[in-house]
Amino acid sequence: MTQPGQQRVELAEMAGIIERLAGELALGEEPARFVAVLEGEEDTPRDE
Amino acid sequence: MSDESLAGLAEAIRGRRLSPVEAVERCLGRIRKWDSRLHAFIRLDEEGALETARSLEADAAAGRWRGPLHGVPLGFKDLCHLHGLPTTCGTRMPEYFVSVQECTAARRLLDAGAIGLGKLNMTELAMGAFGDNGHHGDVDNPWRAGHASGGSSSGSAAGVAAGFFAGAVGSDTGGSIRLPAGCCGVVGLKPTYGRVSRAGAMPLSWSMDHLGPLAWTARDAALMLQVMAGRDPADATASRRAVPDYAAVIEGGIAGVRIGVAMNYFFEGVEEQTAAGVRQAARQLERLGARVSEIGVPDPRDIIDVAMLITRAEASALHARVFRERPQDLQPVARARLQVGFSISAYDYLQALRLRAKLTRVFVREVFAEVDVLLTPVIPGPPPVLAALKAAPVDEFNARGGRFSRLTRPFNGLGLPALSVPCGFTDLGLPLGFQVVGRPFDEALLLRLGHSYQEAAGWHLRRPPLE
Repeated sequence: MTQPGQQRVELAEMAGIIERLAGELALGEEPARFVAVLEGEEDTPRDE
Repeated sequence: MSDESLAGLAEAIRGRRLSPVEAVERCLGRIRKWDSRLHAFIRLDEEGALETARSLEADAAAGRWRGPLHGVPLGFKDLCHLHGLPTTCGTRMPEYFVSVQECTAARRLLDAGAIGLGKLNMTELAMGAFGDNGHHGDVDNPWRAGHASGGSSSGSAAGVAAGFFAGAVGSDTGGSIRLPAGCCGVVGLKPTYGRVSRAGAMPLSWSMDHLGPLAWTARDAALMLQVMAGRDPADATASRRAVPDYAAVIEGGIAGVRIGVAMNYFFEGVEEQTAAGVRQAARQLERLGARVSEIGVPDPRDIIDVAMLITRAEASALHARVFRERPQDLQPVARARLQVGFSISAYDYLQALRLRAKLTRVFVREVFAEVDVLLTPVIPGPPPVLAALKAAPVDEFNARGGRFSRLTRPFNGLGLPALSVPCGFTDLGLPLGFQVVGRPFDEALLLRLGHSYQEAAGWHLRRPPLE
Protein backbone atom coordinates (compact mmCIF):
# COMPACT_ATOMS: atom_id res chain seq x y z
CA MET A 1 0.00 0.00 0.00
CA THR A 2 1.20 3.51 -0.75
CA GLN A 3 2.58 5.36 2.27
CA PRO A 4 0.32 8.29 3.22
CA GLY A 5 3.32 10.62 3.26
CA GLN A 6 4.33 9.71 -0.26
CA GLN A 7 0.75 10.12 -1.39
CA ARG A 8 0.60 13.63 0.01
CA VAL A 9 3.83 14.52 -1.77
CA GLU A 10 2.51 13.16 -5.07
CA LEU A 11 -0.77 15.04 -4.73
CA ALA A 12 0.97 18.25 -3.81
CA GLU A 13 3.26 17.89 -6.82
CA MET A 14 0.33 17.32 -9.15
CA ALA A 15 -1.54 20.30 -7.73
CA GLY A 16 1.55 22.48 -8.09
CA ILE A 17 2.00 21.51 -11.73
CA ILE A 18 -1.63 22.24 -12.53
CA GLU A 19 -1.44 25.60 -10.78
CA ARG A 20 1.68 26.57 -12.74
CA LEU A 21 0.23 25.55 -16.12
CA ALA A 22 -3.32 26.76 -15.60
CA GLY A 23 -2.20 30.33 -15.04
CA GLU A 24 -1.93 30.82 -18.79
CA LEU A 25 -5.29 29.36 -19.75
CA ALA A 26 -7.71 31.56 -21.70
CA LEU A 27 -11.12 32.00 -20.11
CA GLY A 28 -12.74 30.39 -23.15
CA GLU A 29 -10.65 27.24 -22.91
CA GLU A 30 -12.80 24.22 -22.23
CA PRO A 31 -12.39 20.42 -22.34
CA ALA A 32 -14.49 19.97 -25.49
CA ARG A 33 -11.90 21.87 -27.50
CA PHE A 34 -9.67 18.81 -27.27
CA VAL A 35 -11.91 16.83 -29.62
CA ALA A 36 -12.33 19.91 -31.82
CA VAL A 37 -8.55 20.02 -32.29
CA LEU A 38 -8.46 16.36 -33.30
CA GLU A 39 -11.37 16.79 -35.68
CA GLY A 40 -9.75 19.87 -37.22
CA GLU A 41 -12.66 22.12 -36.30
CA GLU A 42 -12.57 25.70 -34.93
CA ASP A 43 -10.44 25.24 -31.87
CA THR A 44 -8.94 28.44 -30.53
CA PRO A 45 -10.67 30.30 -27.70
CA ARG A 46 -11.44 33.86 -28.78
CA ASP A 47 -9.65 35.29 -25.81
CA GLU A 48 -6.41 33.32 -26.27
CA MET B 1 4.03 -12.48 -47.45
CA SER B 2 4.47 -15.15 -44.79
CA ASP B 3 1.47 -17.41 -44.20
CA GLU B 4 2.14 -16.89 -40.49
CA SER B 5 1.06 -13.26 -40.85
CA LEU B 6 -2.58 -12.28 -40.59
CA ALA B 7 -2.64 -11.15 -44.22
CA GLY B 8 -0.92 -14.36 -45.30
CA LEU B 9 -3.34 -16.53 -43.34
CA ALA B 10 -6.37 -14.69 -44.69
CA GLU B 11 -5.04 -15.12 -48.23
CA ALA B 12 -4.24 -18.81 -47.74
CA ILE B 13 -7.73 -19.45 -46.40
CA ARG B 14 -9.35 -17.48 -49.19
CA GLY B 15 -7.27 -19.44 -51.71
CA ARG B 16 -8.40 -22.70 -50.03
CA ARG B 17 -4.78 -23.67 -49.33
CA LEU B 18 -5.55 -23.70 -45.62
CA SER B 19 -8.82 -24.36 -43.85
CA PRO B 20 -10.03 -22.37 -40.84
CA VAL B 21 -9.88 -25.57 -38.77
CA GLU B 22 -6.26 -26.13 -39.77
CA ALA B 23 -5.47 -22.52 -38.91
CA VAL B 24 -7.00 -22.92 -35.45
CA GLU B 25 -5.36 -26.32 -34.85
CA ARG B 26 -1.99 -24.83 -35.74
CA CYS B 27 -2.47 -22.06 -33.17
CA LEU B 28 -3.78 -24.47 -30.53
CA GLY B 29 -0.71 -26.65 -31.00
CA ARG B 30 1.56 -23.72 -30.18
CA ILE B 31 -0.61 -22.64 -27.26
CA ARG B 32 -0.57 -26.14 -25.74
CA LYS B 33 3.18 -26.26 -26.08
CA TRP B 34 4.14 -22.81 -24.88
CA ASP B 35 1.42 -21.08 -22.92
CA SER B 36 2.38 -22.77 -19.67
CA ARG B 37 5.48 -20.59 -19.92
CA LEU B 38 4.05 -17.41 -21.46
CA HIS B 39 0.65 -17.18 -19.65
CA ALA B 40 -0.84 -15.23 -22.57
CA PHE B 41 -4.36 -16.54 -21.95
CA ILE B 42 -6.73 -16.02 -19.08
CA ARG B 43 -9.43 -18.04 -20.81
CA LEU B 44 -8.71 -20.23 -23.83
CA ASP B 45 -11.94 -21.02 -25.68
CA GLU B 46 -10.73 -24.08 -27.54
CA GLU B 47 -14.14 -25.61 -28.08
CA GLY B 48 -15.79 -22.38 -29.20
CA ALA B 49 -12.95 -21.63 -31.60
CA LEU B 50 -13.08 -25.05 -33.21
CA GLU B 51 -16.85 -24.90 -33.53
CA THR B 52 -16.64 -21.50 -35.25
CA ALA B 53 -13.81 -22.76 -37.45
CA ARG B 54 -15.88 -25.73 -38.60
CA SER B 55 -18.78 -23.43 -39.43
CA LEU B 56 -16.48 -21.08 -41.36
CA GLU B 57 -14.99 -24.06 -43.17
CA ALA B 58 -18.45 -25.13 -44.30
CA ASP B 59 -19.14 -21.58 -45.42
CA ALA B 60 -15.90 -21.48 -47.40
CA ALA B 61 -16.72 -24.79 -49.07
CA ALA B 62 -20.05 -23.32 -50.10
CA GLY B 63 -18.40 -20.14 -51.37
CA ARG B 64 -19.83 -17.99 -48.58
CA TRP B 65 -17.25 -15.58 -47.20
CA ARG B 66 -18.09 -13.65 -44.07
CA GLY B 67 -15.52 -10.93 -44.58
CA PRO B 68 -11.85 -10.09 -45.03
CA LEU B 69 -10.80 -12.01 -41.90
CA HIS B 70 -12.62 -15.25 -42.73
CA GLY B 71 -11.04 -18.01 -40.65
CA VAL B 72 -8.27 -15.90 -39.10
CA PRO B 73 -7.62 -16.71 -35.40
CA LEU B 74 -7.47 -13.68 -33.09
CA GLY B 75 -7.24 -13.03 -29.36
CA PHE B 76 -8.95 -10.38 -27.24
CA LYS B 77 -7.58 -8.63 -24.19
CA ASP B 78 -9.68 -9.72 -21.24
CA LEU B 79 -11.34 -6.36 -20.86
CA CYS B 80 -13.31 -6.82 -24.09
CA HIS B 81 -16.73 -8.09 -23.19
CA LEU B 82 -18.07 -10.88 -25.39
CA HIS B 83 -21.27 -12.73 -24.53
CA GLY B 84 -20.67 -16.19 -23.10
CA LEU B 85 -17.16 -15.55 -21.80
CA PRO B 86 -16.25 -14.02 -18.43
CA THR B 87 -14.37 -10.70 -18.42
CA THR B 88 -11.93 -10.58 -15.52
CA CYS B 89 -10.02 -7.44 -16.56
CA GLY B 90 -7.00 -9.17 -15.06
CA THR B 91 -8.60 -9.36 -11.60
CA ARG B 92 -9.39 -12.53 -9.67
CA MET B 93 -13.12 -11.86 -10.17
CA PRO B 94 -14.48 -13.83 -13.16
CA GLU B 95 -17.25 -11.33 -13.88
CA TYR B 96 -15.51 -8.10 -12.93
CA PHE B 97 -16.86 -6.35 -16.02
CA VAL B 98 -20.38 -7.15 -17.19
CA SER B 99 -21.89 -5.28 -20.09
CA VAL B 100 -25.12 -5.52 -22.07
CA GLN B 101 -23.10 -4.34 -25.03
CA GLU B 102 -20.42 -6.59 -26.53
CA CYS B 103 -17.09 -4.96 -27.30
CA THR B 104 -17.81 -3.28 -30.63
CA ALA B 105 -14.24 -3.58 -31.91
CA ALA B 106 -14.03 -7.30 -31.11
CA ARG B 107 -17.52 -7.97 -32.44
CA ARG B 108 -16.69 -6.24 -35.73
CA LEU B 109 -13.62 -8.47 -36.14
CA LEU B 110 -15.69 -11.59 -35.43
CA ASP B 111 -18.37 -10.45 -37.85
CA ALA B 112 -15.66 -10.04 -40.48
CA GLY B 113 -14.94 -13.75 -40.17
CA ALA B 114 -12.28 -13.83 -37.46
CA ILE B 115 -12.22 -16.69 -34.95
CA GLY B 116 -11.84 -15.72 -31.28
CA LEU B 117 -9.44 -18.06 -29.48
CA GLY B 118 -10.16 -16.58 -26.08
CA LYS B 119 -9.46 -13.86 -23.59
CA LEU B 120 -5.95 -12.63 -23.02
CA ASN B 121 -3.92 -11.93 -19.93
CA MET B 122 -3.33 -8.34 -18.89
CA THR B 123 -2.10 -6.32 -15.96
CA GLU B 124 -4.81 -6.02 -13.31
CA LEU B 125 -7.40 -3.40 -14.35
CA ALA B 126 -5.02 -2.40 -17.17
CA MET B 127 -2.87 -0.54 -14.66
CA GLY B 128 0.77 -1.37 -15.13
CA ALA B 129 3.54 -1.24 -17.69
CA PHE B 130 5.35 -4.54 -17.19
CA GLY B 131 2.90 -7.41 -17.76
CA ASP B 132 2.89 -8.83 -14.24
CA ASN B 133 -0.25 -10.45 -12.87
CA GLY B 134 -0.41 -12.16 -9.50
CA HIS B 135 -3.78 -13.79 -10.22
CA HIS B 136 -3.28 -15.23 -13.70
CA GLY B 137 0.50 -15.47 -13.90
CA ASP B 138 3.06 -12.99 -15.14
CA VAL B 139 3.21 -12.86 -18.93
CA ASP B 140 6.71 -13.88 -19.93
CA ASN B 141 8.70 -12.32 -22.74
CA PRO B 142 8.71 -14.72 -25.71
CA TRP B 143 12.19 -13.63 -26.76
CA ARG B 144 13.94 -14.16 -23.43
CA ALA B 145 12.51 -15.90 -20.39
CA GLY B 146 12.24 -13.85 -17.23
CA HIS B 147 12.08 -10.47 -18.95
CA ALA B 148 9.00 -8.26 -18.90
CA SER B 149 6.48 -8.66 -21.69
CA GLY B 150 5.27 -5.09 -21.19
CA GLY B 151 1.79 -4.09 -20.12
CA SER B 152 -0.95 -3.82 -19.85
CA SER B 153 -1.90 -5.70 -23.06
CA SER B 154 0.76 -8.27 -22.21
CA GLY B 155 -1.04 -11.43 -23.37
CA SER B 156 -2.01 -9.72 -26.62
CA ALA B 157 1.60 -8.90 -27.54
CA ALA B 158 3.24 -12.09 -26.25
CA GLY B 159 0.60 -14.24 -27.93
CA VAL B 160 1.08 -12.55 -31.31
CA ALA B 161 4.86 -12.91 -31.00
CA ALA B 162 4.50 -16.61 -30.12
CA GLY B 163 2.16 -17.30 -33.04
CA PHE B 164 -0.75 -18.18 -30.74
CA PHE B 165 -3.01 -16.04 -32.95
CA ALA B 166 -2.51 -13.78 -35.95
CA GLY B 167 -3.58 -10.58 -34.24
CA ALA B 168 -5.06 -9.28 -31.02
CA VAL B 169 -7.07 -6.43 -29.62
CA GLY B 170 -5.41 -4.39 -26.89
CA SER B 171 -6.19 -1.20 -25.03
CA ASP B 172 -3.91 1.77 -24.43
CA THR B 173 -4.39 4.40 -21.71
CA GLY B 174 -0.74 5.37 -21.22
CA GLY B 175 1.08 3.02 -23.59
CA SER B 176 -0.60 -0.34 -22.94
CA ILE B 177 -0.59 -1.40 -26.61
CA ARG B 178 2.75 0.11 -27.63
CA LEU B 179 4.79 -0.93 -24.57
CA PRO B 180 4.06 -4.67 -24.85
CA ALA B 181 4.39 -4.43 -28.64
CA GLY B 182 7.83 -2.91 -28.11
CA CYS B 183 8.83 -5.50 -25.50
CA CYS B 184 7.59 -8.46 -27.55
CA GLY B 185 8.78 -7.34 -30.99
CA VAL B 186 5.40 -6.92 -32.69
CA VAL B 187 3.50 -4.00 -34.21
CA GLY B 188 1.03 -2.12 -32.00
CA LEU B 189 -1.21 0.76 -32.98
CA LYS B 190 -2.86 3.23 -30.66
CA PRO B 191 -5.25 5.00 -33.02
CA THR B 192 -6.42 8.59 -32.71
CA TYR B 193 -8.77 9.20 -29.77
CA GLY B 194 -12.23 8.38 -31.15
CA ARG B 195 -11.06 6.37 -34.19
CA VAL B 196 -12.07 3.03 -32.62
CA SER B 197 -15.14 2.65 -30.41
CA ARG B 198 -14.48 1.70 -26.80
CA ALA B 199 -18.02 0.46 -26.23
CA GLY B 200 -18.14 -2.89 -24.45
CA ALA B 201 -14.57 -2.61 -23.15
CA MET B 202 -13.75 -1.99 -19.50
CA PRO B 203 -12.96 1.69 -19.06
CA LEU B 204 -9.92 2.78 -17.10
CA SER B 205 -10.06 6.45 -18.06
CA TRP B 206 -12.70 7.59 -20.52
CA SER B 207 -10.54 10.51 -21.57
CA MET B 208 -7.41 8.46 -22.27
CA ASP B 209 -8.58 4.97 -23.28
CA HIS B 210 -8.00 3.73 -26.81
CA LEU B 211 -8.54 0.29 -28.35
CA GLY B 212 -6.26 -0.88 -31.14
CA PRO B 213 -4.65 -3.83 -32.91
CA LEU B 214 -1.45 -5.76 -32.24
CA ALA B 215 -0.04 -7.92 -35.02
CA TRP B 216 3.19 -9.05 -36.67
CA THR B 217 3.14 -6.45 -39.40
CA ALA B 218 1.83 -2.99 -40.14
CA ARG B 219 -0.16 -4.54 -43.00
CA ASP B 220 -1.86 -6.89 -40.54
CA ALA B 221 -2.61 -4.01 -38.18
CA ALA B 222 -4.11 -2.10 -41.13
CA LEU B 223 -6.41 -5.02 -41.94
CA MET B 224 -7.61 -5.14 -38.36
CA LEU B 225 -8.02 -1.38 -38.00
CA GLN B 226 -10.06 -1.32 -41.21
CA VAL B 227 -12.64 -3.52 -39.53
CA MET B 228 -12.44 -2.08 -36.01
CA ALA B 229 -12.64 1.65 -36.84
CA GLY B 230 -15.64 3.85 -37.46
CA ARG B 231 -18.60 5.44 -35.79
CA ASP B 232 -20.58 3.57 -33.23
CA PRO B 233 -23.86 4.72 -31.71
CA ALA B 234 -22.86 2.86 -28.52
CA ASP B 235 -19.84 5.14 -27.96
CA ALA B 236 -20.50 8.88 -28.04
CA THR B 237 -16.77 9.57 -28.38
CA ALA B 238 -16.38 7.48 -31.55
CA SER B 239 -15.67 9.79 -34.49
CA ARG B 240 -18.11 10.06 -37.37
CA ARG B 241 -15.28 10.44 -39.85
CA ALA B 242 -15.21 8.02 -42.77
CA VAL B 243 -12.66 5.22 -42.42
CA PRO B 244 -10.02 5.33 -45.17
CA ASP B 245 -9.08 2.23 -47.15
CA TYR B 246 -5.84 1.54 -45.26
CA ALA B 247 -4.86 -1.51 -47.32
CA ALA B 248 -5.17 0.48 -50.54
CA VAL B 249 -2.58 3.06 -49.49
CA ILE B 250 -0.16 0.87 -47.58
CA GLU B 251 2.01 0.15 -50.60
CA GLY B 252 2.40 3.82 -51.53
CA GLY B 253 5.95 4.20 -50.23
CA ILE B 254 7.27 7.08 -48.17
CA ALA B 255 9.17 9.20 -50.69
CA GLY B 256 9.05 12.82 -49.56
CA VAL B 257 7.43 12.09 -46.19
CA ARG B 258 8.85 14.54 -43.61
CA ILE B 259 9.99 12.69 -40.51
CA GLY B 260 11.02 14.63 -37.43
CA VAL B 261 13.26 12.85 -34.93
CA ALA B 262 12.17 14.38 -31.63
CA MET B 263 15.47 15.28 -30.01
CA ASN B 264 14.37 16.98 -26.81
CA TYR B 265 13.05 14.72 -24.05
CA PHE B 266 12.53 11.56 -26.14
CA PHE B 267 16.19 10.52 -26.18
CA GLU B 268 17.08 11.79 -22.72
CA GLY B 269 18.17 8.90 -20.51
CA VAL B 270 17.33 6.35 -23.18
CA GLU B 271 19.54 3.24 -23.12
CA GLU B 272 22.28 3.23 -25.74
CA GLN B 273 21.23 0.24 -27.90
CA THR B 274 17.64 1.48 -27.90
CA ALA B 275 18.60 4.96 -29.08
CA ALA B 276 21.00 3.50 -31.67
CA GLY B 277 18.25 1.22 -33.01
CA VAL B 278 15.91 4.17 -33.54
CA ARG B 279 18.62 6.23 -35.23
CA GLN B 280 19.43 3.32 -37.50
CA ALA B 281 15.74 3.02 -38.37
CA ALA B 282 15.72 6.73 -39.21
CA ARG B 283 18.59 6.17 -41.65
CA GLN B 284 16.71 3.25 -43.21
CA LEU B 285 13.63 5.44 -43.63
CA GLU B 286 15.79 8.11 -45.25
CA ARG B 287 17.11 5.55 -47.74
CA LEU B 288 13.46 4.81 -48.59
CA GLY B 289 13.01 8.43 -49.65
CA ALA B 290 11.77 10.10 -46.48
CA ARG B 291 13.15 13.50 -45.49
CA VAL B 292 14.47 13.03 -41.97
CA SER B 293 15.34 15.97 -39.74
CA GLU B 294 15.98 16.50 -36.06
CA ILE B 295 13.39 18.70 -34.38
CA GLY B 296 12.38 20.04 -31.00
CA VAL B 297 8.83 19.52 -29.74
CA PRO B 298 6.83 21.27 -27.00
CA ASP B 299 7.99 19.80 -23.68
CA PRO B 300 5.99 16.55 -23.26
CA ARG B 301 6.34 16.63 -19.47
CA ASP B 302 3.39 19.01 -19.22
CA ILE B 303 0.99 16.74 -21.10
CA ILE B 304 2.31 13.72 -19.17
CA ASP B 305 1.47 15.37 -15.84
CA VAL B 306 -1.92 16.44 -17.12
CA ALA B 307 -2.69 12.99 -18.56
CA MET B 308 -1.56 11.25 -15.40
CA LEU B 309 -3.80 13.38 -13.21
CA ILE B 310 -6.83 12.86 -15.44
CA THR B 311 -6.24 9.11 -15.62
CA ARG B 312 -5.86 8.74 -11.87
CA ALA B 313 -9.01 10.71 -11.09
CA GLU B 314 -11.11 8.86 -13.66
CA ALA B 315 -9.74 5.41 -12.76
CA SER B 316 -10.59 5.95 -9.10
CA ALA B 317 -14.08 7.15 -9.95
CA LEU B 318 -14.67 4.14 -12.21
CA HIS B 319 -13.23 1.48 -9.94
CA ALA B 320 -14.18 2.94 -6.56
CA ARG B 321 -16.56 0.12 -5.77
CA VAL B 322 -14.05 -2.69 -5.87
CA PHE B 323 -11.52 -0.55 -4.02
CA ARG B 324 -13.95 0.16 -1.21
CA GLU B 325 -15.85 -3.12 -1.02
CA ARG B 326 -13.26 -5.74 -1.94
CA PRO B 327 -9.82 -4.15 -1.59
CA GLN B 328 -8.34 -7.49 -0.51
CA ASP B 329 -9.14 -8.86 -3.99
CA LEU B 330 -6.86 -6.31 -5.66
CA GLN B 331 -3.09 -6.55 -5.83
CA PRO B 332 -1.20 -3.92 -3.79
CA VAL B 333 0.05 -2.23 -6.99
CA ALA B 334 -3.49 -1.61 -8.27
CA ARG B 335 -4.73 -0.53 -4.84
CA ALA B 336 -1.92 1.99 -4.50
CA ARG B 337 -2.64 3.49 -7.89
CA LEU B 338 -6.36 3.81 -7.23
CA GLN B 339 -5.87 5.29 -3.78
CA VAL B 340 -4.20 8.47 -5.04
CA GLY B 341 -7.06 9.34 -7.38
CA PHE B 342 -9.59 9.70 -4.55
CA SER B 343 -7.78 12.76 -3.25
CA ILE B 344 -7.57 14.71 -6.50
CA SER B 345 -9.65 17.86 -6.31
CA ALA B 346 -12.36 18.75 -8.82
CA TYR B 347 -10.46 21.99 -9.44
CA ASP B 348 -7.27 20.16 -10.47
CA TYR B 349 -9.16 17.63 -12.60
CA LEU B 350 -11.08 20.31 -14.49
CA GLN B 351 -8.02 22.47 -15.04
CA ALA B 352 -6.22 19.40 -16.35
CA LEU B 353 -8.98 18.78 -18.88
CA ARG B 354 -8.82 22.42 -20.02
CA LEU B 355 -5.03 22.24 -20.23
CA ARG B 356 -5.22 19.11 -22.35
CA ALA B 357 -7.16 21.01 -25.01
CA LYS B 358 -4.62 23.81 -25.10
CA LEU B 359 -1.54 21.57 -25.04
CA THR B 360 -2.94 19.46 -27.87
CA ARG B 361 -3.69 22.51 -30.00
CA VAL B 362 -0.18 23.88 -29.50
CA PHE B 363 1.51 20.53 -30.15
CA VAL B 364 -0.42 19.81 -33.36
CA ARG B 365 0.08 23.34 -34.66
CA GLU B 366 3.81 23.52 -33.95
CA VAL B 367 4.95 19.99 -34.76
CA PHE B 368 2.89 19.17 -37.82
CA ALA B 369 3.60 22.49 -39.51
CA GLU B 370 7.17 21.25 -39.70
CA VAL B 371 6.91 17.48 -40.25
CA ASP B 372 4.39 14.80 -41.25
CA VAL B 373 5.33 12.33 -38.54
CA LEU B 374 7.37 12.27 -35.37
CA LEU B 375 9.88 9.48 -34.68
CA THR B 376 10.81 8.46 -31.12
CA PRO B 377 11.86 5.36 -29.18
CA VAL B 378 8.85 3.49 -27.78
CA ILE B 379 10.40 2.14 -24.57
CA PRO B 380 13.35 3.80 -22.82
CA GLY B 381 15.37 0.58 -22.64
CA PRO B 382 15.16 -3.15 -23.29
CA PRO B 383 12.50 -5.14 -21.40
CA PRO B 384 13.81 -5.45 -17.82
CA VAL B 385 14.05 -8.60 -15.73
CA LEU B 386 10.63 -8.89 -14.12
CA ALA B 387 11.67 -10.57 -10.87
CA ALA B 388 14.05 -7.72 -10.09
CA LEU B 389 11.29 -5.17 -10.69
CA LYS B 390 8.83 -7.04 -8.51
CA ALA B 391 11.29 -7.13 -5.65
CA ALA B 392 10.94 -3.34 -5.30
CA PRO B 393 8.44 -1.75 -2.88
CA VAL B 394 5.02 -0.95 -4.39
CA ASP B 395 5.65 2.78 -4.72
CA GLU B 396 8.98 2.21 -6.41
CA PHE B 397 7.45 -0.39 -8.72
CA ASN B 398 4.74 2.07 -9.78
CA ALA B 399 7.28 4.86 -10.19
CA ARG B 400 9.33 2.63 -12.49
CA GLY B 401 6.19 1.89 -14.47
CA GLY B 402 5.68 5.62 -14.88
CA ARG B 403 9.22 6.02 -16.18
CA PHE B 404 8.81 3.04 -18.50
CA SER B 405 5.73 4.63 -20.10
CA ARG B 406 7.14 8.15 -20.33
CA LEU B 407 7.63 7.96 -24.11
CA THR B 408 4.14 6.67 -24.90
CA ARG B 409 1.94 8.52 -22.39
CA PRO B 410 2.24 11.95 -24.04
CA PHE B 411 0.29 10.68 -27.03
CA ASN B 412 -2.60 9.44 -24.93
CA GLY B 413 -2.82 12.92 -23.49
CA LEU B 414 -2.62 14.44 -26.96
CA GLY B 415 -4.94 11.82 -28.49
CA LEU B 416 -2.63 11.42 -31.50
CA PRO B 417 -2.20 8.15 -33.42
CA ALA B 418 1.02 6.32 -32.57
CA LEU B 419 2.45 3.12 -34.03
CA SER B 420 5.10 0.93 -32.41
CA VAL B 421 7.32 -0.92 -34.89
CA PRO B 422 10.11 -3.43 -34.10
CA CYS B 423 13.54 -2.30 -35.32
CA GLY B 424 16.09 -4.91 -34.30
CA PHE B 425 17.43 -6.65 -31.23
CA THR B 426 19.79 -6.01 -28.35
CA ASP B 427 22.90 -8.07 -27.70
CA LEU B 428 20.75 -10.29 -25.49
CA GLY B 429 18.25 -10.87 -28.28
CA LEU B 430 15.54 -8.61 -26.83
CA PRO B 431 13.44 -6.55 -29.26
CA LEU B 432 14.07 -2.88 -30.02
CA GLY B 433 11.33 -0.64 -31.31
CA PHE B 434 10.48 2.81 -32.53
CA GLN B 435 7.30 4.83 -32.32
CA VAL B 436 5.88 7.02 -35.09
CA VAL B 437 3.27 9.61 -34.25
CA GLY B 438 1.04 11.33 -36.78
CA ARG B 439 -1.54 14.03 -37.26
CA PRO B 440 -5.02 13.29 -35.90
CA PHE B 441 -6.67 10.50 -37.92
CA ASP B 442 -3.59 9.96 -40.10
CA GLU B 443 -3.22 6.29 -39.21
CA ALA B 444 -2.85 5.55 -42.93
CA LEU B 445 0.51 7.32 -43.13
CA LEU B 446 1.81 5.63 -39.99
CA LEU B 447 0.85 2.21 -41.31
CA ARG B 448 2.38 2.98 -44.71
CA LEU B 449 5.60 4.07 -43.06
CA GLY B 450 5.64 0.99 -40.82
CA HIS B 451 4.99 -1.27 -43.80
CA SER B 452 7.71 0.34 -45.94
CA TYR B 453 10.18 0.00 -43.09
CA GLN B 454 9.33 -3.63 -42.36
CA GLU B 455 9.57 -4.63 -46.01
CA ALA B 456 13.03 -3.05 -46.22
CA ALA B 457 14.39 -4.07 -42.80
CA GLY B 458 12.86 -7.54 -42.57
CA TRP B 459 12.95 -7.79 -38.77
CA HIS B 460 9.42 -9.18 -38.78
CA LEU B 461 10.67 -12.36 -40.45
CA ARG B 462 12.41 -13.43 -37.23
CA ARG B 463 10.44 -15.45 -34.71
CA PRO B 464 11.18 -15.90 -30.99
CA PRO B 465 13.06 -19.11 -30.14
CA LEU B 466 10.56 -20.00 -27.35
CA GLU B 467 12.94 -22.14 -25.35
